[in-house]
Amino acid sequence: MTDDVAHDRLAVIETERTDAAFYRACAERGDAPLLPSERLWGFWEFTYANSALAIATWAFLIGGAVGLFVGPKEGIAAIVIGNIIGVVLTALATTTMSGRYGIEQFIALRSQFGYNGSRVVYLLAVVLLTMGWLAVLAMMFGRSIDGLMALSAGEAANPTGVKMTVASVGAILLTWFVVAKGPTSIKFFNMVVSPALVLLMGVMLYLILSQRSFGELLALPALAPPFEDNTLNFIVAVEVNLAAGFSWWPYIGNLARLTKNERRAFWPNVLGIFGAAALGEIVGLLAAVALGESDPTIWMTKIAGPIIGIVALLFVAFANMTSMANILYTSIVGLRQVGTASVRAIPWGTILFLFCVIPLGLVVFYPQMYDGFFIFLVWTSALNSALAGIGIVDYFFLRGQKLDVRSLHGPQQNGPYRFWAGFNPIGLFALAIGCIVYVVVFNPQTLASLPAFKYLTASIPACVAAGAVHYALTRLFARGRGWGQYP
Amino acid sequence: MENNDIAWQNELTRRARIYEDIEAGSRFEGVMTALDYAGMTALTLVLVIGFWIWGA
Repeated sequence: MTDDVAHDRLAVIETERTDAAFYRACAERGDAPLLPSERLWGFWEFTYANSALAIATWAFLIGGAVGLFVGPKEGIAAIVIGNIIGVVLTALATTTMSGRYGIEQFIALRSQFGYNGSRVVYLLAVVLLTMGWLAVLAMMFGRSIDGLMALSAGEAANPTGVKMTVASVGAILLTWFVVAKGPTSIKFFNMVVSPALVLLMGVMLYLILSQRSFGELLALPALAPPFEDNTLNFIVAVEVNLAAGFSWWPYIGNLARLTKNERRAFWPNVLGIFGAAALGEIVGLLAAVALGESDPTIWMTKIAGPIIGIVALLFVAFANMTSMANILYTSIVGLRQVGTASVRAIPWGTILFLFCVIPLGLVVFYPQMYDGFFIFLVWTSALNSALAGIGIVDYFFLRGQKLDVRSLHGPQQNGPYRFWAGFNPIGLFALAIGCIVYVVVFNPQTLASLPAFKYLTASIPACVAAGAVHYALTRLFARGRGWGQYP
Repeated sequence: MENNDIAWQNELTRRARIYEDIEAGSRFEGVMTALDYAGMTALTLVLVIGFWIWGA
């Protein structure tokens, strides 16, 4: 009898443990808010994760693009100015609420755009952009592998050949495998790779400086400045870096929810994303200008010789994969929230693979996309800067930093975030205004700009305009209609 | 299936209540304070103005 009771108790305890583990796994994937006790990352772990996200070859490539417009001195200034503004505004808009409530970014976004509006934003900001980024990063990985194989064989690299395609496909599949294991495996990956990459950047910087003094490097001219007006070239370089800073908007909120509290969710972005991205871009800028070549997979072989070049390319290839793992994880966490019940019912590994299908197709059938990297980056800022403006105004100034976790996760059809048929017309209108302001002030495709661009950039007016429109219209119309549970 | 849905809704309610209790008692740990925002603003301004003067 006693044995039976003990056995029953053990069974109950085992069931409770299983349930707790299941709910925690669901919360990690974004289905529920993570409780403070369940959060994985402290200050340094999130800093490592951010560094790993920022330190990919995209930083080198952006640095190289900056070198096209301005010389190293102006370029370093543009990198610091653009990145600090972009990263701080993006972190304010996303990480503070995720860090406080452990809430998934796109569930929190229901309070700004409605439960259907957040789906629209997800499609624009995450699905299209992340798939593009995954493809570009995979192709960079492929070019690195192709470059190091050519270097070790003493042959010329073929950056659009079969080896590059096979390596790129392999990178996407390996990323899928890592992310399918869950955030714990990403944490391990970040903790190992991130410090090694900071070291690599230091070595690269040392090698560049061992060939020319810092003073000589600063005096070098830009590679291909598009305008005669140096101020305009400088502002375009700042704009590129603002775009780089704002480009973290779709990703860092869902990483920040894994941190233990609000402060640890915010400050590591300044050290990790800003610091690592700025360092990587400066290394890329100096190397590009010194060697006359913006592609890191080429200048690394020139600067370091064959042996160090192979090691460096290998490191950089895997650095790209850490970034791919991070953006894939955060994107799928969001997709499960904005998707329908049938989307949520798809197993984690399967939905990850389905998300990778289009990037795989781009890698195989549209490798030219790699060459449009720079324009692709600047276009993203038209959207991301406006989203940051709306996010800051909504969370800080309209809601007083308070979210209703219960309503955000409860049934939405008759909830306070229904707005108008699930869409907040005010938020979406403000987003459209922000994008229009951006493109009117500065056209990323043609680089044509208004005179005001030289003084204001394009991302900042877009961010301010979207935020101001959202604030004014919400104050005027939302409360009277009972939309969005604004206080 | 229905039992699972009820259990899941109960779990969501439990988690939401934990945050409501923390909020009601102002017991959020590691909250960003005015000092954090002032530091963030100062850091941004120093970097922007300093590098603008140096590089532009």
